[in-house]
Amino acid sequence: MATTGGLSFPDDTTHLDPRAFDRWQARRRWAKAGLIYAVMLAFAIVFIGPILFAAVSSIKTDPLEYPPSLAIPQLQPKNWSASARLGAAGAGDRLFGGFAPGAVVPFEITYFVREGLDVTPPEVVVPRRRPGAGPGAVLAMDFAADYASVGDLTIVRRQPSLADETGAIPGELVTFAFTVAYVGEGPTTERLPLDVTAEVGMTYVDSTITASRLERRGRTASFENAAPGVLGYVFRNYVRVFNEVRTPATRQSLFLVWIGNSFVFAFFRIIITLLLASMAGYALARLRFRGREAIFMLVLFAQMVPLQVLFISNYLVLRDGIVSIDGFKLSTLWGFPDGMLNSLTGLLFVTALNAGAVFIMKQFFESIPREVEEAAMIDGASHWRRYWSVVLPMARPALGALTIITFQGAWNDFFWPFIVLTSPETMKTLPIGLLSFRNIYGGVGDWGLILAGAVLSALPVIVLFVVFQRYFLEGVSFGGGKE
Amino acid sequence: MRTIALFILGAALVGGAFAQSIRIMGYGGSDPAILVRLLDEVVGAQLAEEGITVTYEPLEGDFNAALFNALSAGTAADIFYIPVETAPGIIATGKVLPLDGVIDTSQFIDSLVEAYTVDGTVYGVAKDFNTLAIHYNIDLFEEAGVEVPNENDTWETFADKLRGVSALGDDVYGACFPAGWDRFGAFAFGAGWQPFDADGRSNLQDPALVEAVTWYTDLVREGVAVQPSDIGQGWTGGCFATDQVGVAIEGAWILGFLRDEAPNLQFGTTSMPIGPSGERGNFLYTVAYGVNTDSPNRDAAVRVLEALVSPEAQQWVLEQGLAIPSRTELADNPFFDEGTPEAEANRIVFAGADDGNVYGFQFGRIGTEWMNPINSALVEIMTGQSTVDEALSGAQADLDIVMDRVR
Repeated sequence: MATTGGLSFPDDTTHLDPRAFDRWQARRRWAKAGLIYAVMLAFAIVFIGPILFAAVSSIKTDPLEYPPSLAIPQLQPKNWSASARLGAAGAGDRLFGGFAPGAVVPFEITYFVREGLDVTPPEVVVPRRRPGAGPGAVLAMDFAADYASVGDLTIVRRQPSLADETGAIPGELVTFAFTVAYVGEGPTTERLPLDVTAEVGMTYVDSTITASRLERRGRTASFENAAPGVLGYVFRNYVRVFNEVRTPATRQSLFLVWIGNSFVFAFFRIIITLLLASMAGYALARLRFRGREAIFMLVLFAQMVPLQVLFISNYLVLRDGIVSIDGFKLSTLWGFPDGMLNSLTGLLFVTALNAGAVFIMKQFFESIPREVEEAAMIDGASHWRRYWSVVLPMARPALGALTIITFQGAWNDFFWPFIVLTSPETMKTLPIGLLSFRNIYGGVGDWGLILAGAVLSALPVIVLFVVFQRYFLEGVSFGGGKE
Repeated sequence: MRTIALFILGAALVGGAFAQSIRIMGYGGSDPAILVRLLDEVVGAQLAEEGITVTYEPLEGDFNAALFNALSAGTAADIFYIPVETAPGIIATGKVLPLDGVIDTSQFIDSLVEAYTVDGTVYGVAKDFNTLAIHYNIDLFEEAGVEVPNENDTWETFADKLRGVSALGDDVYGACFPAGWDRFGAFAFGAGWQPFDADGRSNLQDPALVEAVTWYTDLVREGVAVQPSDIGQGWTGGCFATDQVGVAIEGAWILGFLRDEAPNLQFGTTSMPIGPSGERGNFLYTVAYGVNTDSPNRDAAVRVLEALVSPEAQQWVLEQGLAIPSRTELADNPFFDEGTPEAEANRIVFAGADDGNVYGFQFGRIGTEWMNPINSALVEIMTGQSTVDEALSGAQADLDIVMDRVR
């Protein structure tokens, strides 16, 4: 027996027991698979780790928590069931919660009280709380505080305990119960914030749902929403992304508008790219005409010129609506009297043509045997017919790859939308919208909302990749030197 | 018949002439929502009666870069924000309409008007402003048994109070001191330093500046104050929200942040401490409305500007707690005396505009680049890499290069 890399194999393979040989081969296969999987896992951790960390942080109340902890209240099943219960009590909505007329929300909070200290009921307040930044800080809103009434606190449990963070200090765990009731008629408010402030010496231990934050050096337990519903609790930052950022005038959810714009932009860009790139690719691959080589070189050249070189001239073209003569802009003819800035049409105009896509399609068409077309030619098919009915259907894999690459490019495109779409807010695409998020909320340290928005914007591309990864890889191989 | 036709034609012409649309370019953030509410609730109806409609275009990202782009591309709005730190540069483009004889600026706080005055001509009307103030954590001072800072504090008594708070424990500090001119500068002014001499040069070896730098950085080296990054925060407000520092030296913008991140923090606000010069030092951070000289509807734009900074508009903005107004007459507004910590903070910040050595957050035509050498010097001293003298003479050399280039 000799060994290589920890695997032993028989020296003399001629007199081999076939079963031993099979076993040896099986071991080898497993070792290979193990190695490959280990390498892939390492890659996955390196690449997916940051996304995963962002996703986990995005549900935290304080995503900047340092050092970061994995004991996240939002991930504890105990809080899920409690928040669903509270949501049902607050507004009959187990998912998103709220505070509606007639609601009575029961709540419990437990403190550790040192031996010898009087047990004083903590002070419970429903504060008037509004967002610190963004449109939410300015737009008129309803406050739960105007309708809420906090009932008396009663002690429901007392239990001797030794447990305290600082060591074995004797004392007891005291649980207080109270209700928050909606008095009278009024609007349903989105949330019911709650502040519970205890005497110095009482240590917060637990409550119906875990406190959002402890303030005043541990004295005040603050709850963002005491009637959140399970989604409202776990995905609070996500709910805020949709609810809090609205246009001042029409109260439309800006994030939804941005998602819509991004989809529209991506859709039309895909359609235009597929159509133009496949036609151009076909012409360059199959038609013989004077200057074909030169045009192909031009296409390649266009791909080599960096965007930054062209953007000023292209910006001016958009501003002037192609060309402006004595103040009359040519784009008036198709409905843009003020030029084509700040319109998705203008954006498509400068981004939809893609030399790389033409190149991919040309390469693919060249790989289709000529005989297929010659057969169609004998049947009397014109160039157009051959392109549309014969070659294009055969190019489905290339078109699929192109679709995905184009979608990803359009969805993530930042540079052009940033230049072209400056106002109004409702004209922006998602990446530019996320930049406004950063400006609005980054300044006040409200990163939860920004992270939630970023994770949401990454979702379509992640889903796309998981579902269509085969096409992604094909796209890469078409782009490479496949004959 | 003919007269009727003429009449209709005339009416259409008049109507057309009056229907004017004015665009405003300004910051993103909550400004778009504030403007929409201001128009809806206060000034919009009157302007609409005069046939003027207003649209707001927020510029996201780097406002100054975006504004310069828009000015050079000819797409800038009729009215645009002029941030104080880049005001001289923006005015130098010649695209800002001089307001002398167009708008009466005598009702506005002098130092604010001055920040937008170049060669005796006023180019902008400050829409609102901020100054620095001392915000203190009442719980921490109580726990430390130290009297909270007050308006009579000098640098020495203020530092002693901070020492008292930082004695509470290893993770508690008196204050967060960032290594940046945008906060430190107020202390330099308190020591009596003037950033520019008659020739427009800056002297970093001036004893007043050396004294301020020494005081500011010594507190950090002593462990009484801490740089925000050393406790995992990006700015002073972040430190303050964690209950780890006794005071934060910030403007009224900290209020919105605290509402979000530390809604229960018990804080009070007082004026900046009195410096060795016998005066407080402070910055004016502000932004003004300016009118585009290329605006096709210049008169209407001026009219909109007037409406936006009118007493009614400013009073509304103040009473909604959105910003601090630039008109002197609002000093006595009952809002300031509401007794809430937020109203008190606003009052102190308002009063800061003309209390002691107050300068705009401005660097002539050099722009914000002027701060870089000083900021690096502060970092070097705070982290013990060099002494005050070494760091300042190094910074002087760097600053001279910047100033020579602009010249």
